[in-house]
Amino acid sequence: MPVYRSVARALVLSLAANAGYAAPRPPGMIPPPESVEAGYWDLMAKAERQAQQSGELNKDPALNAYVREVTCKVAVEYCDELRLYIMDRPFMNATMAPNGFGEVWSGLLLRVEDEAGLAFVLGHEVSHYAESHSVEAALAHKNRQNIALAVSIGVAAVGVYAAASVGPYGDPGPILDATGNLIDAVYLASVTAFFRFSREHETEADLLGFQRAAAAGYRPQAAAESWRVVMAETSASDFERVRKRDARLGVFDSHPLHRDRVVALEAEAAKLTGEGVRGRERYRAAIRPHLAAWLKDDLRRRDFGQTLHLLGRLETSGEDLGVINFYRGEAYRLRRQLDDLERAEAAYFTASVHSDAPVAVWRELGDLRRRRNAVTEALTAYETYLAQAPTAEDAWIVQDAVASLKKGLS
Amino acid sequence: MIRLVRVGAGVFGAAALLAGCAGITSLPPGPARIGGAEITLGRQWSDVSILMPGRSNKVRLLSIDGPLLNRLYVTDGLAPGDYLVKPAHKEQPTPTIRADMTVSERIEFVTDSIAAMDYLRVEAIRPRPATLEGQPAVRFDISATSRDGLDVKGAALASEVKGKTYVVIYLAPAEHYYEATLTEAEAIMASVKARG
Repeated sequence: MPVYRSVARALVLSLAANAGYAAPRPPGMIPPPESVEAGYWDLMAKAERQAQQSGELNKDPALNAYVREVTCKVAVEYCDELRLYIMDRPFMNATMAPNGFGEVWSGLLLRVEDEAGLAFVLGHEVSHYAESHSVEAALAHKNRQNIALAVSIGVAAVGVYAAASVGPYGDPGPILDATGNLIDAVYLASVTAFFRFSREHETEADLLGFQRAAAAGYRPQAAAESWRVVMAETSASDFERVRKRDARLGVFDSHPLHRDRVVALEAEAAKLTGEGVRGRERYRAAIRPHLAAWLKDDLRRRDFGQTLHLLGRLETSGEDLGVINFYRGEAYRLRRQLDDLERAEAAYFTASVHSDAPVAVWRELGDLRRRRNAVTEALTAYETYLAQAPTAEDAWIVQDAVASLKKGLS
Repeated sequence: MIRLVRVGAGVFGAAALLAGCAGITSLPPGPARIGGAEITLGRQWSDVSILMPGRSNKVRLLSIDGPLLNRLYVTDGLAPGDYLVKPAHKEQPTPTIRADMTVSERIEFVTDSIAAMDYLRVEAIRPRPATLEGQPAVRFDISATSRDGLDVKGAALASEVKGKTYVVIYLAPAEHYYEATLTEAEAIMASVKARG
């Protein structure tokens, strides 16, 4: 028993010793070629080349310039060395590698409320870079693994010795079982320490990202709001497992609970006075050209509860109502529960009065009206579609529907 | 003795499982049955359905040079609730057939299913009327991008016969491979018969 206790104490002490943070990296720093970090840079250079060739890469110069501009506002000292790529992926995420290569996913750009929210997220990622979090985590994990291996060998040696000492009539089984369990516990402790370390990095990046965005003049409340948005959308999911995702923290979770992040960031915001820049109109103008394509991508995730929640938030500014209501109609039509088809028709109709509505809204309205035998209204919708898109590739489908309806009338 | 019996049972079970695996098989030119659907192949294809993640009994995947270079999905008659792509798990549902689909929704079923196969920017192009066993069908082309950034082109046919949806999808890299097998793929689409 004393052996087990001393092993556990040594493990805890070694894990704690590896939890210290390094100082922020100096701008323009290039790691020596023989260093561990240089190895990570090589790996990340390969990942960056993949990103450059990826089919998900969003090459819109205006959007890329905008995201770069905001990045440089929160990372003045690192502006020249950061390379952010916008990837059309319908999930809320951004990453930053130790060599300055980062990704911002379209799902994040679709969900961030304004430029202040984007500045906080970018500030968070830049803080991972400035603090060399990924290199630090990898080195600490490597040290922990080495220590865990040494401890495991020691435990195994002690266990084997103890088992061999039980004498000719003793049963070594329980001792060997206990040895095996202890080795498993040592390994588990090293793995859970990795995730705890990751959560600490995330908390630190939240705080530093907040400070960067606030120093750049952005509205301090935007940081907490960014995580509140994630919480609300998670709660709106169609799937129970997703809704429960943020209920409690597990030892293998790499990020803190969203509600804890909100509380911490709200406390930071309360310390500051002044309103700060929100940049909502500018932000929406930057993402507007991609709104329809990103919403279509989001619908293909088929978590309609989340998409409908997102559409509700996008609608609050009173802009882009044709596009937003069209995709609301699409979400209801695809989900098709209870009175969803009625809701879809209402959403399409709302969309149709706005100039930014896709012309397809009339075809969809025609299909839904036809489905409920509202023949005259369906004909009106179909004929509007054909009038607005006479050369549409699918015009023959609508013409067929019109002919079929008219045949039924005659 | 008990240990020996257990080991023997394990070996037998593994052998039985392996024997049950269809593996990659060769399909000679001529008629081929996919459940209730029959197609006529103009040349030899390989049935690589075993390579499909989450394989469905109603969907077969054929290829000539390997699924990265050309692939042909042929379905048996899909009933309401059936899918072309089996969901990896509950939280990632894939498109399913509905009883009352419009022509546009059939096209959408195909394009969204292709998106669920991990293709990006999937769009239907130039939908046009076609027939399958004398029933109205829709034939259209497809443009997409692979996750690695490769431009992909495709051709598809979808139709409902006696309440079941039959789908044929041909996909290949836009460069060389699409054109190289397009004529054969179109001939196969024209040959589909619903025998179910």
